[in-house]
Amino acid sequence: MRSYSVVLALCLAAGSASIDIPAGFTRIFDGKTTRGWHFSGTVHHGTTGIATVTKDGTLQLVQQPFGQGGLFITDKTYKNFELYLEVKVPFATNSGIFLRSTEGGSAYQIELVQGGATGALIGELLRLSQGIPAPDLTNIWKTDEFNAIQVRMEGDAPHVTIWINGVKTGEVQEPRNDQIGGVVGGHIGLQLHWLDTYEPRNVSGGGMSNAMKPGHPLEFRNIAIKELP
Amino acid sequence: MRFGVALALSGLTLAAQTPAVSSPTSNSIGMEFIRIEPGTMQVGMFHPDCENGGGGRGRGGPPADPRMIWDDADRAACEAQTKAERSDGFPVAIKKAYLIGKTEVTQGQWKAVMRTNPSLFQADRVPNPDNHPVESVTWQDTQAFVKALNAKERTRAYRLPTEFEWEYACRAGGLGQQTWTEIRAQAVLGLGLAGRGGGGRGAVSTAPGSEPLPPETPAQYTARTGMTNEVGSKTANAWGVHDMLGNVWEWVADPYNGKIFPDPTPPKSGSVHVLKGGGFASDVKNAICATHGFGPGDPFAVGFRIVKDLP
Repeated sequence: MRSYSVVLALCLAAGSASIDIPAGFTRIFDGKTTRGWHFSGTVHHGTTGIATVTKDGTLQLVQQPFGQGGLFITDKTYKNFELYLEVKVPFATNSGIFLRSTEGGSAYQIELVQGGATGALIGELLRLSQGIPAPDLTNIWKTDEFNAIQVRMEGDAPHVTIWINGVKTGEVQEPRNDQIGGVVGGHIGLQLHWLDTYEPRNVSGGGMSNAMKPGHPLEFRNIAIKELP
Repeated sequence: MRFGVALALSGLTLAAQTPAVSSPTSNSIGMEFIRIEPGTMQVGMFHPDCENGGGGRGRGGPPADPRMIWDDADRAACEAQTKAERSDGFPVAIKKAYLIGKTEVTQGQWKAVMRTNPSLFQADRVPNPDNHPVESVTWQDTQAFVKALNAKERTRAYRLPTEFEWEYACRAGGLGQQTWTEIRAQAVLGLGLAGRGGGGRGAVSTAPGSEPLPPETPAQYTARTGMTNEVGSKTANAWGVHDMLGNVWEWVADPYNGKIFPDPTPPKSGSVHVLKGGGFASDVKNAICATHGFGPGDPFAVGFRIVKDLP
């Protein structure tokens, strides 16, 4: 809760060209290059997505080819931390913030679906002991603007707290570590969800609706972290 | 949104090879091989469409927001892009018969050759580790194994499969991509838990939280969170080969070309190598023969199988 006032102040500025991050945090996206990040080579969302940086310091993620996204993850791994970022998620697009992710995308995930289950804590290729249901974001979420997400994750059996635009929207004390193999920690990841299979007509499962809207990139900026003991 | 759509082939001329089934042969460490006969396959087929886009229903979330539904401009943009990106791929001819491992290399087989075991899922975590695939091996580790096995048997016949040899044995004469039902019958997915091998995504559990829980043994922890399964535990493919999909990703000989599919002529060098088939923690979506992944992957879900050249 100690960062509440800081984040709230930042969020009042969100939507304009916010260029600040909370005090005590270190940028892990430099606003100019994608140095320190890479696409996973084995995640099912795709391996050939495109990450570009705009002149105003925004990271844009786009499927390439259409239907095939990816998981854009930090080179470095983190165990206990507070993460801050701002994200703009177009309607009909599915994203998420991966926490303690493996290279292949087994992770705790904060869902990001504008108009959907944004703010829920779920497991991605990870059997989560206890999730956080999607919060009511009425009067919190700013449609089609940048929104500030902050999460604190601490402990082997992690305690997870999520703030959206400065408002605490969820908190859980996991009863156990759920990571494969007993590892504690992992990459920070930005999900660019898949939409279609290579040969859709041959696949009984079909595709994933609302995973990506053509011509509308996912956008992130001011990605920063504060590592905790 | 998911569709149940009947198989519809595009009229491509694809040779469905069906080699005569021969009895597996084995080697000095009990490794069984399946003989793969020459033939052709189509690689790199990519036929996306826009039927799945913009339906308006989110997965597990509140009722759809009408603004999620694609408008005409969205659909037109999708149609234009997918039309430009559509590809029938290219034919690949496998000109020479070869033997391929009936299963992934097991921990028992690795130990018999290398006298070590790098795997995570050993006896403290799984009941019969010698029958589980060896994992936590780098591409360089596989080269050391092949070299040692060749030396042990005084031969030069063992090696990693090329990507095309691997994919040809995986497709087993099938046209195009398998259905998810077929994949789930053949692949250890869904975190590999007993009775849960069907590709579950590990979503939110209804287990109570917050209360302190008793300590777990490594085996209990592993059963709860995911693991490899014994090789050969699922249905073989049409040519009698097991675990091509799921269980562990498999290294092949080829360097990665930086693209979604291999090129007709693979790169001759490169420090990153191709991974095929998906692992126990993969989703059914990319546990397909065509997936052209690359290292390092998750060590606990990365192994390999070998081929043996025929005289």
